[in-house]
Amino acid sequence: MQQQQVRQFIERYLATFSAHIVETHPDYLTVKLPVEVDKDIGNRPFYWSWVEKMNLAYQPLVLTFAFNPDRMPDGVRAEHMHLGAARMQQIFDSTKKHGRFLCMYEQSPLALGSGGKRRSAPLVPWLGLNLKLSLLCDKKRDILLYLGINLHNPRIVHDFTSFLFQLPLTPAIPDYFYTLDRRISIEQALEMAKQEVSNVLEKEDQKWAEEARERLTEELAILSVYYEELARREPPAEDDGSKESTEEEEEAPTQEVNAENNVPSVPAISPACTFVEQPRTLDEYRSSGGRILDFLRANGIQTTAREEIDQGEWQKSTPEEERKRRMDELKWQYEPRIEVQLINGGLFYLYSSPAPFPMTPTPSKANTPVSRRIM
Amino acid sequence: MPNVPVSFDTSWMDPLSERLQQDGPWDKWELWKLALEAEEAMAVHEFDQLQCLKYLPLLSPFPHQLQTAERVLLDMRGRAILADEVGLGKTIEAGLIMKEYMVRGLAKKILILVPASLVIQWTKELQQKFGIPAVAQKKEYMWRQHEVVVASIDTAKRDPHRRHVLDIDYDMLIIDEAHKLKNKRTRNYQFVKEIRKKYCLLLTATPIQNEMDELYNLINLLKPGHLGHTTSFSSNYVEGKRQSKNSDKLREEIEKVMIRNKRSDGGIQFTSRRVQSIPIELSAEEMALYDGVTRFVREQYQSGIGGFNSLALITLQREVCSSKEASFMTLYNMHQRMAEDSPLREQIIHLVEMIKKIETHSKAAKTVELIQQINDKVIIFTEYRATQNYLQKYLHDHGITSVPFRGGFKRSKKDWMTDLFQNRAQVLIATEAGGEGINLQFCNQVINYDLPWNPMRVEQRIGRVHRLGQKRDVHIYNMSTVGTIEENILSLLYEKIDLFEMVIGELDDIVERLNLSQSLEENLIQIIMDSRSNKEMALKLDNMGHAIRAVRQTRTETPLTEAADQ
Repeated sequence: MQQQQVRQFIERYLATFSAHIVETHPDYLTVKLPVEVDKDIGNRPFYWSWVEKMNLAYQPLVLTFAFNPDRMPDGVRAEHMHLGAARMQQIFDSTKKHGRFLCMYEQSPLALGSGGKRRSAPLVPWLGLNLKLSLLCDKKRDILLYLGINLHNPRIVHDFTSFLFQLPLTPAIPDYFYTLDRRISIEQALEMAKQEVSNVLEKEDQKWAEEARERLTEELAILSVYYEELARREPPAEDDGSKESTEEEEEAPTQEVNAENNVPSVPAISPACTFVEQPRTLDEYRSSGGRILDFLRANGIQTTAREEIDQGEWQKSTPEEERKRRMDELKWQYEPRIEVQLINGGLFYLYSSPAPFPMTPTPSKANTPVSRRIM
Repeated sequence: MPNVPVSFDTSWMDPLSERLQQDGPWDKWELWKLALEAEEAMAVHEFDQLQCLKYLPLLSPFPHQLQTAERVLLDMRGRAILADEVGLGKTIEAGLIMKEYMVRGLAKKILILVPASLVIQWTKELQQKFGIPAVAQKKEYMWRQHEVVVASIDTAKRDPHRRHVLDIDYDMLIIDEAHKLKNKRTRNYQFVKEIRKKYCLLLTATPIQNEMDELYNLINLLKPGHLGHTTSFSSNYVEGKRQSKNSDKLREEIEKVMIRNKRSDGGIQFTSRRVQSIPIELSAEEMALYDGVTRFVREQYQSGIGGFNSLALITLQREVCSSKEASFMTLYNMHQRMAEDSPLREQIIHLVEMIKKIETHSKAAKTVELIQQINDKVIIFTEYRATQNYLQKYLHDHGITSVPFRGGFKRSKKDWMTDLFQNRAQVLIATEAGGEGINLQFCNQVINYDLPWNPMRVEQRIGRVHRLGQKRDVHIYNMSTVGTIEENILSLLYEKIDLFEMVIGELDDIVERLNLSQSLEENLIQIIMDSRSNKEMALKLDNMGHAIRAVRQTRTETPLTEAADQ
């Protein structure tokens, strides 16, 4: 994203919330944040919960975004906005939150006869789905798909979104139009989308997955040879940790071993699941109606009682546990898998019809952003 | 794709169906478009192309750092030892790799274990240079609450922290100064071995210090079995403790897991160092004081009658080389601690009287002259607070602006002083090497007002300005009073061992290889304090110089280093 694009993006974002622009300058932009924007990008959740609870008038946040930080006048405090800026990412997240589902109608002047001889015209229901396919192993690549599914006369098309961008769309049904009924359910449409995704994946180059698997097999082989040799040469009895050097240690080992310190092995990793459990964020917690203090008690203020602290020798893993752990790590690292996520979607009632045959895009074509605004 | 499991997230079905039933609420068309554009901007279109740079417009990494990041991502698949020589920016390389995995969504939970003294610096650097929201671990809850945590390994390995660390699946583990894990019997090593991780970076400038086993142990943390079992490793590759065999094969294996950029590889241009000694003739009174104090110190040190603490005497000897102000306070304190009737009191008072008589400021005057001549930003280093205060006043009296800098300053004050120096003052007078993370590269003139007896400290001083990012040659001026210990030490450090000309980081290596029973500094102290005459001292210092030189020459010839260096 070039600086100019960053600026345009921010300006368009702010405009949708009718933000009050305090000052606009080629190098920077000062804006008074509307409430919704403040809540999303203002970084002050406690302030907001306080204001709302106490029913107070709020003080809007005023921010200055710099697009050429080197050319800022003295004394102006500004944030440098670029693709990697934390605030920019928050703006992105905010657009995703507020730009998820649409319902739009085509308002085609062609559809209606001219003059007084108006007659009503039908609109076909389409389900538009912008999907992100992530190909994952120790590396990652994304493929974006813009699918459109005709819900009246079931068929699926690609590049649906760029087709939409050429149409005059409006959020309310225009006069003299009527909508055709949906003959398939959303669930059935989803099945079609899934099928189409696997068609696309079928045609993708498989080399990445094969390579990752080869690598995994290789590394697993090294590991098992190593641990076999280890077991042969250092029978477990000898490896009880008693010879551990006390170098760098200040505390004398105590007798007891805390049961908790037994390292649980990594749960067998099924490729389909996410691996790191996401802690709930404060925002999620609050939006589900929780009290801040309870949240902190549950997630924040976490301390182990003094008497539970045990500086004693912890139970070192056995070679077998260690082997298993290393193998799980390798699978976690290399196992190829694919995740499909919805970027956003919507229901579109169209008079015009996209190209009649499903065009499966070539991989390179799938990589071109449909909006053609951001490279 | 055959056999590759696909997980299709359908959690959006319910909210969508609900809105269909209720016919709303629907989002805005423009926001819908913006959301799509945001995804498109963030999407990763290539497996093998570095993505992180577009998120880091303020960072301009060196080519070797980018190449390193690419090799780790593509060839080493995220598990590597980064073993660049000191000063080539291992932190930057680690930051790039970390950022890349974060941008690709492959790493969220990241643990960075570093020596306690570097925790803050790492945290700042990740935040400021890479926009990575790293936090320094302080409280127990932080292990779970934050995604990117920087902690000291000594804290992390202790309960209750240990439980958390060993209980978390880390997408990425980074360990700085990893050579401290060379011994597999230490608790630190065992602890690191228990951590569950996907990607792993070990950072060290000295992957092998003494023995082959050290590198073996490091690699075993990263990829157990990569070099086979210890026994097979020994029989395949180890000739003697420090000698390898099958070097080509070993090198090949090591190259798969370790990257070592060297200054000599070229590509990275360090500016040169220009060292100059500035001889200073003391006035008769100043010389008399110096001789008086030196005699006093030696007598007391060797006889021990006065019951002085030897440290105080050593300090006094050093101080008198710096400035009369520095020695005055020590003399005064000694006097106060003496018994009323001690004959030594007389001697000390005599020395103090000598100080009072001195009206010349030979060294300071020369320094002012030098600063005026340089006519640019200058950093003056001294070991003593008293000298620092005195110099600040003296410079002020001569119309030169200066700011002080001390180790005891809080971080914010250090930043503030650095800022003042950069924008307002001509001179920074520092009593310590500035501390980690202070950027002084905009200055290229260094005056050593006095010389530390510990060569490592000299190197730290210079290292503050002579590092990656310094665009000009660095000028080093050593103030040397003729006919004093200062002159002797300078001749040892400068002429005999070429200290000032050494490439950054080389000294570390040499000192470690010297295998002295005491530190270099302690050896120096012994020579200076125990010698009965100046001649004896000069001779001993000379011998020491030869010893260091010899080590320096053999150093480059060890096959082991070569195998590791390649």
